[in-house]
Amino acid sequence: MIPAVQIDDLAFSHPGDTTPTIDGLSLTIPTGESVAILGPSGAGKTTLLTLLDGRLRRWQGRVSILGLALDPDAPPPLSRRADSGFIFQEFALVERSTVLRNVLNGRLGRMGVLRALLGRPSAHDLSVARAAMTDCGIADLANRRVDSLSGGQRQRVAIARCLAQEPRLILADEPISNLDPARATEILTLLTHAARKRGATTIFTSHQPDLARRFADRIVGLRNGRIVVAAATADLTEDATAALYELNDAARAPQLQVIS
Amino acid sequence: MGRRGYGGYAASALVAGAVLWSLVTSDMDPSRLLSAGPRIADFLGRMLPPDPSVMKEIIQGSAETLRIAILGTLGAVILSLPLAILASETMVPAAVHRPVRMVLALIRAIPLILVAMLMVGAVGLGPLPGIIAIAFHATGMLAKFYAEAVDGVSRAPIAALESAGAGPLLRLRHAIWPQVAPVIARDTIFRFELNLRESLILGIVGAGGIGFYIQTYVRSFQYDKAASVTIAVIVMVIAIETLNVALRRRFS
Repeated sequence: MIPAVQIDDLAFSHPGDTTPTIDGLSLTIPTGESVAILGPSGAGKTTLLTLLDGRLRRWQGRVSILGLALDPDAPPPLSRRADSGFIFQEFALVERSTVLRNVLNGRLGRMGVLRALLGRPSAHDLSVARAAMTDCGIADLANRRVDSLSGGQRQRVAIARCLAQEPRLILADEPISNLDPARATEILTLLTHAARKRGATTIFTSHQPDLARRFADRIVGLRNGRIVVAAATADLTEDATAALYELNDAARAPQLQVIS
Repeated sequence: MGRRGYGGYAASALVAGAVLWSLVTSDMDPSRLLSAGPRIADFLGRMLPPDPSVMKEIIQGSAETLRIAILGTLGAVILSLPLAILASETMVPAAVHRPVRMVLALIRAIPLILVAMLMVGAVGLGPLPGIIAIAFHATGMLAKFYAEAVDGVSRAPIAALESAGAGPLLRLRHAIWPQVAPVIARDTIFRFELNLRESLILGIVGAGGIGFYIQTYVRSFQYDKAASVTIAVIVMVIAIETLNVALRRRFS
């Protein structure tokens, strides 16, 4: 079976940076799995997800998404864009538009261009969007403007927009970063359920090892753009996961001192 | 007291010289200033009471000025929408937006009355040269404002739509447009008010509107009729300003 993500010897530096953000990274993610990427801020988690979404240029190595190679010098063709869905940490919603409009924006890559331009979704588009909203528990908010919603509600709109896209790969950038433990569990539950229901592979970044263990089949530990741990969650003891984080924090300590 | 270099003295001398030169060479005879008072009083006296018999001319002239402002604004909006994209720092490379912004600055620098005179020469008398002049002149400001509205949009939803597989046109339609539309509406209403004020004087150079009557009556010493037209102009400006304040509040 073709893996959802196949990365070989990937390297990337942000323009102007002297140290690489991603430094010789190789990773295979089987289709249908739920994968958590752990690691301190600045480890390269968001950069890796953005790169997998086809929004970064000038990287080295080989990356295949759903069996098709990404081009380091050109964005992926629009027809393939919709296959990977991205959930942004800051939600990236159109504030003045309604919840339904925002969720339908996820369908733009799946609609005909004329329908998309005129903003006239088909009955099918609408039913996919409504199913996504129902799965995220925001069906009753359809006609509310996003700028009137709470942070937790916006998070659900962002997830619903991604689901409406019918992605085969879901990339979630810190989907629980600003949530209390109960809300975080809620969000990860609905995200992983919805992904499993749709047969999609999920990769999410997080700072919470305990929740990552609960919701991910596989855990990848990232530090300074390199993989320090990559194992099935079942093969990784709780202590090993926690240690991964302590180690990371210890490694950051000297940098924090320099800043203060 | 601070120390002053020779540069400071030179600058002071230059300013003093410029003022002196202007005073001496401007034919400012004090006796002319003294006799101005009674003349102004006489002028105002002949304006009173305003002659209401010119109501028909006032209505015709106001309607024409309004038409010039409406069509001139429409023309400016049509020209400004594509130009705003070309003048945007975030939508096109510097090689495109720099020259476009320079052209817009140049357009803003040309006085409306000059454009109107050129247009009267080009297309003849009447409201048409006025409409063209307003459209041209207002584009210099409106395209810049629109471009700033475009550049002020949040980038995150654009990236999100790109990630969802929406092309540039769809990103413009569904991520940028909902953010800029209210700003564009506000800027357009503001520019319409300016267009109306500025189009009032277009008649003086024969480019249509109520200004024609003011000029005609003043030239033929019918100050009471000129006064009526002036009052109509003031009423019109206040009415439009009140309307605009109310409209703009809706888009904030």
